[in-house]
Amino acid sequence: MPERTGFDPCWVDDVVAGCVTQAGEQGACVARFAVLEAGYPREVPGVTHNRFCGSGLEAVNHAAAMVASGYQDLVVAGGVESMSRVKMGSDGGAWWDAATQWSIGAVPQGISADLIATIHDFSREEIDAFALRSQRRAAAAQRAGAFERSIVPVVDKAGLPLLAADEHLRPDASLEALASLKPAFALMGERFGLDALTRRRYPQVERIRHVHTAGNSSGIVDGATAVLLGNQAVGLELGLKPRARVAAISVVGSEPLIMLTGPMEASRRALARAGMQPSDIDLYEVNEAFAVVPMLYMRELGVDPDRVNVNGGAIALGHPLGATGAMLLGTVLDALEDRGLATGLVTLCIGGGMGIATIIERV
Amino acid sequence: MSDQSQAMVRIELDEQSHIATLWLQGAGGVNKIGPAFGQALLAALEQLQQLGGLSGVLVASAHRDFCVGADLDYVYRERDAQSMFTMVSALSRGYRQLETLGVPVVALLCGSALGGGYELALACHHRVALDDTRVKLGLPEVTLGVIPGAGGTQRLPRMLGFQAALELITQGRLLPAPAAKAKGLVDALVASPEAAFEAGRSWILEHPGHQQPWDKKGFRWPPPAPDSEDARNMFMAGSAMLYKKTAGAYPAAEAAFCAVQEGARLSFDRALELEIRHFVPLGVSQGAKDMVRTFFFHKSAADKLEGLPRVESDEIRKVAVLGAGMMGAGLGWLCARAGCDVVLRDIRQAALDQGMAHCADQARRLARKKGADEAQRILARIRPSLELEDLRGTDLVIEAVFEDVGLKHRVIREVEPLLAPGGIFASNTSALPITDLAQASQRPERFIGMHFFSPVERMPLLEVILGAVTDDATLGRALAFGRRIRKTPIVVNDGFGFFTSRVFAAYILEGAQLVAEGHAPALIEWAARVAGMAVPPLQVFDEISLRLGKHVVAGSRPYLGDQLDIPGADLVVRMVDEFERAGRADGAGFYEYEDGRRRGLWPGLADLAGGPPAESTVEALAFRLLAVQACEVARTLDEGILRRNRDAELGAVLGLGFAPASGGPLAWMDRQGLALLVPRLDQLAADHGRRYAPAQVLRDMAEAGRGFFD
Repeated sequence: MPERTGFDPCWVDDVVAGCVTQAGEQGACVARFAVLEAGYPREVPGVTHNRFCGSGLEAVNHAAAMVASGYQDLVVAGGVESMSRVKMGSDGGAWWDAATQWSIGAVPQGISADLIATIHDFSREEIDAFALRSQRRAAAAQRAGAFERSIVPVVDKAGLPLLAADEHLRPDASLEALASLKPAFALMGERFGLDALTRRRYPQVERIRHVHTAGNSSGIVDGATAVLLGNQAVGLELGLKPRARVAAISVVGSEPLIMLTGPMEASRRALARAGMQPSDIDLYEVNEAFAVVPMLYMRELGVDPDRVNVNGGAIALGHPLGATGAMLLGTVLDALEDRGLATGLVTLCIGGGMGIATIIERV
Repeated sequence: MSDQSQAMVRIELDEQSHIATLWLQGAGGVNKIGPAFGQALLAALEQLQQLGGLSGVLVASAHRDFCVGADLDYVYRERDAQSMFTMVSALSRGYRQLETLGVPVVALLCGSALGGGYELALACHHRVALDDTRVKLGLPEVTLGVIPGAGGTQRLPRMLGFQAALELITQGRLLPAPAAKAKGLVDALVASPEAAFEAGRSWILEHPGHQQPWDKKGFRWPPPAPDSEDARNMFMAGSAMLYKKTAGAYPAAEAAFCAVQEGARLSFDRALELEIRHFVPLGVSQGAKDMVRTFFFHKSAADKLEGLPRVESDEIRKVAVLGAGMMGAGLGWLCARAGCDVVLRDIRQAALDQGMAHCADQARRLARKKGADEAQRILARIRPSLELEDLRGTDLVIEAVFEDVGLKHRVIREVEPLLAPGGIFASNTSALPITDLAQASQRPERFIGMHFFSPVERMPLLEVILGAVTDDATLGRALAFGRRIRKTPIVVNDGFGFFTSRVFAAYILEGAQLVAEGHAPALIEWAARVAGMAVPPLQVFDEISLRLGKHVVAGSRPYLGDQLDIPGADLVVRMVDEFERAGRADGAGFYEYEDGRRRGLWPGLADLAGGPPAESTVEALAFRLLAVQACEVARTLDEGILRRNRDAELGAVLGLGFAPASGGPLAWMDRQGLALLVPRLDQLAADHGRRYAPAQVLRDMAEAGRGFFD
């Protein structure tokens, strides 16, 4: 980042990284070791956050708050997740505990997503259609080079590229192919009884319709990202040109069993803080953890689908848990610049029933 | 005290082999675990530790059973958490000392070892059991509202693995010794008590210095290891499956599950303490007292016919069962199994064929357990017949023909003359008053109601109904016979629907009424599960058929007129007549069916409902579904149909699946507090109808500040 942007890393007050499954290779405060590996001066510290799928945006919001408060001047925020090397859930946690399951009713996110589709009556066809839209938009954006200036290729020691572009996209996706996929959560829901745990809070739902598949849920991928945040003084000092300002941030708890409905309330709160209406936002990035999440979001907030996830989303591109939030911030900013628009809102649903949102304005 | 407690456990030392035998010899010929037992065990262990050169210990019983588990009088009485904690801790410490004596310890299970008794066996290093199906082993604690407290939830999973142990513990299953051996609950089977001692002694000599696996360095769990991904997934699915089954109505099953899961990550001694901390709050809880009262005290008393006429022998050798449907055929099988010659009679050959096919199926199942010869012998005792003459000389006739007074009268007149001298005529009617049926009888004093429940092979209850002039000798013989076919009896006076059918009707008709009021059917069904009912009302209505429900309601009119407040019946009539949805057998009812499998509630129910209901919460519906039954129970007390409280609990729980964890409808009312319940029922009666009006007995008891089981 210092090379690309052209500044001396000794000015960095802190490096904040989101990372969800903090076990194995990415356990034990990966941010600190990333700082040292990157060759930053040893005086630059690092901290790793876990707010589940909101971790990347949490890092950005944390950095923004530190800068805004005046405690720090320049902060690197972002996140990392290597889902191919460190398996989701391998860090254990209270939701594996039976007593917690019975009292809170924690179920895997996919079952929550299917529960939302059942309660709010989204059909498999509608959900697959949304997934196809994500694939088409992402493919078009990739062809048009929309992601290029935000991607840093991973290279080996000889400088040869290991990974230079998103690999998860399926530009050849079709409704027929999507429709042929098996529901991913039916087995654990029906055979292993996990659907029953939802009855405690949603007793009126006799049977969950399992509609989410590998094709209309976010991809399990690796990814890392970083965003530089600072105040005006340090910007002038270093001669950096700001691209946008953080207008409002918010994070909120929501019903933990259905788990994925937090983005609506988080967004309402962020909009209220910014003194804005949903119509004031030019472009939205609503994380496609499962197709039903942005679909419900658009319905509940009355947002025009053409303003949401204009370059596709995690269904096509993947959702590296700890990194996604900060990535989406970059995605919406690139898209605003490409279209000559001003305001963007990024929001993600979060495990355990939470939602997080950030509003930015180009400057 | 110390004399008495030491006498409960006696040490016998063999000077030659230096093997000590710990004899369990509790008072009254039974080994039960109360406070004195733990003390006695600790004292005996102290004595053992003083002995030099000990080579091993055998633990054996001086009585028929090894040890039947906790002294339930103590559990029922003890309400102080600290005292119970102290008592169970002492016991658990004793077991721990036994397994860490430093010498091999062998349990000789020549009789049943249940609960704390089996936990004692688990604390031994090796278990030898008599190869006899009458020897039962296992941890039934959750069926009495508690969990194992002396190491059962820790040792069994470390021995068998989580999955097997959780299944046994959360269901409270008992296994006969041979099955217990197959599952690994015991290590060896022997043919005789002498052989058990021999096997125990050899094992000790072959295993000097033996330690429990979990006390050895580098102990590894039977896979999956507690911290593995497989174990995490198994626990998640396991806890979900448990919830699916219990809907949260069985706190003991949940606590047992938690003790197993949480204990797996602790050192063994901490795990034992954790188990006790899960045990004690349940042990002192009202829930456990209510389950102990119903499932142990009441059930044992009923099985022993306490307070009921007893006869030496029922003198029933030949039984005739009239009607070869599911019930008739099942009854025929049970009677044959009890050693009777059976004539299974019907007027249609096709029905007989079906009935005999059912019996043959039962025989096939039994053959797997008891051998083909025994099963064939039983089956050969059943004779299907179309001929009236074959009924001659029967000692007991049980009629299970269609529920129609005229038809039953005809059958009684036809068959009664063929009875052996002194023969009894019993009707299996589920609702028609016995006195009315007996009008067709020449000997109404030997006419009695014997109401069985379907499927009769599995349902444990027998509701005996006394006609106006049924005599004591007949009752005594009917009860003795019920015992022979292993049913738990209740005895009630006559009246339409007697006891159980009235309460059952109140339940399922209220289910229908809640639909009519506009409550979401899925919510009604779930509320019943949350209330603890074994089967939700609309589902069970479909099983018994709405047509039958309609028929019974119509049949009640001559007896009860319009005195019944059952608005739900209107919806049932519409379902049958207007929508032709009479239940599962018809392939359509409250539920939809596909190839006989229940698919889900019929969406059309929403159109049958009135306006949106006022209070539609799980709690409110669960309360109504239990309250409407409890109100009916109280009315049967008022009317003198019910003769004793015990019968209310056993009848409702064993016959109808009334929330078993509540202990029964009277215990449930006690738990609500009658002084609070009565005004609440008055309000429900004002809102929904007089079926909720509290019976006088409830008002009087509330007034006097009393409960049913103070």
